[in-house]
Amino acid sequence: MPEELSLPRIFPIAAMLFETLFLLVAISIEGYVLHRWLKFDKKTSIFYAIAMNVFSSVFGWNIFFLLEPRLDIKLKSELISYIFFNNFRNPGTQSTIIFLAFLIFLGTFLIKFLLIKILIITLSEIGGKEEIETSQKQKLYRIEKMQLQDTKLITTTLVANSISYTAISFILVIRNLSIGLK
Amino acid sequence: MNSSFFKEVILLFKFIQDLLLGIQELIMPPKAFSWQVLIYLSVFSWGISYLAIGFIKDIIAFSGWLFLIAGTAWYTTDDPLRVPGTFMPVGALITGLLVSVFAFGHEVNVVTPKTIVFWPTIAAIITAIPEFFAGTGTTSKAAIPKLEVRQKVIILLAWSMLISCWLQFYFVLDKWLKEYPSLSAQNFLRSTFVIRLEPKSKTPQNGNIILNKMQPLVEEQIFGKPWSEVEKWLIEANQELGNLGKGVIFKNLEKYDEKGLWGIEPRVVNVKSGYRLDILTIWTGPSANTRGFYLQKSCLIQPVAAVNKQENQNAVAEIECDHTNKFFIGSPPPKQ
Repeated sequence: MPEELSLPRIFPIAAMLFETLFLLVAISIEGYVLHRWLKFDKKTSIFYAIAMNVFSSVFGWNIFFLLEPRLDIKLKSELISYIFFNNFRNPGTQSTIIFLAFLIFLGTFLIKFLLIKILIITLSEIGGKEEIETSQKQKLYRIEKMQLQDTKLITTTLVANSISYTAISFILVIRNLSIGLK
Repeated sequence: MNSSFFKEVILLFKFIQDLLLGIQELIMPPKAFSWQVLIYLSVFSWGISYLAIGFIKDIIAFSGWLFLIAGTAWYTTDDPLRVPGTFMPVGALITGLLVSVFAFGHEVNVVTPKTIVFWPTIAAIITAIPEFFAGTGTTSKAAIPKLEVRQKVIILLAWSMLISCWLQFYFVLDKWLKEYPSLSAQNFLRSTFVIRLEPKSKTPQNGNIILNKMQPLVEEQIFGKPWSEVEKWLIEANQELGNLGKGVIFKNLEKYDEKGLWGIEPRVVNVKSGYRLDILTIWTGPSANTRGFYLQKSCLIQPVAAVNKQENQNAVAEIECDHTNKFFIGSPPPKQ
């Protein structure tokens, strides 16, 4: 049955617009943080911010697509209820959502860190020429420098991710308030 | 006057000639190795594949696809018209669609959801491929592009993959509507995710189906039975109707996932001439109203004198059910 195409009865346009908005907010904030903390030039930091955020949401979507068919009917109705009607059948789900949001935060942080690490390595190493290590001392210095860079990278990613999540949560709160007023 | 008429005719001829020349230019390959040749090869393979049988047919059809993809790719990279806002040529979109149809299509349905989902990603990859070859024409060789180009390619790929995810999300939602058709009887106005493209149906169709299939079964259990037996049945209506309901739901809603979300409950009310049996089908799944909804069919059960029996005390039951089912939004009335 799912192999057949039919005329669209619904379209997730709102989800697409919201995600684009959140991505734009996150990209501009994280680009600024990368520029300030890691001293990348503006263009490079925006590039890293775009790649990090968009790829991590692609990753998140894929996890959703993997998990969705495996949910049992109870959890699935909660999910459907949330997506179609913006409510939950079971009031206990609210606390699960908060826990889930925390997990998602940690998950995106890890993914973003891995992504930026991979991007920095692939984008700089391939084009750049191999430096020949002359002395043991120089090698040691280089490793130390790499470790220092790693901790700085982790803290920067964490800070950038926290600030962008705060901004997005703020937008969500405003939206819920405006729905409540209606 | 005559001369101007001739002029017009000559102009018209000239126009037709230009048109034909243009078509000829498009159709006739300028060299032996050009995109037109590839397209012709694909058409040729298609024709041949009809004559062949077995796996040879598949092989020929397969190469036909490859020729078509290569030909369009070649033609569309000749003069790139780009998708606004990106550096992706429109040609890459066309080639991407062909590759996607080729990869995920069946003989029965040419375009499957997978084809559409993977289309943007494949188009982005096709756009990126030429960037990894330096030089033009025959003297090209693989090379890693400049940093700026690499960044451009990565960003294009990222956004295209995100669009693929959105399309997949649409197909997930569509699948839900197929597996849980009763969802479409409700409004999605509060949703943060979706908008509706078709008007909502008035009542959940599956609820009506359950009630209409229940009616003859219940009538059979009651009609013509001795009144005392019927009263006993009504006391145990919860159990009796529950068993009947399970069978009906399992039989009629077998192909839907929503079959686990419907429940059947009776409500028995005393009326002056006998009893009223309300059969409720209650939706326990997701709904716009947090208290859900239910459908109801009312049946009036009365004792009548048995016709062919001598003693009048053995009254039998008669049952009459409403034709239409009522649709209520909110929680059902409390159980007795």
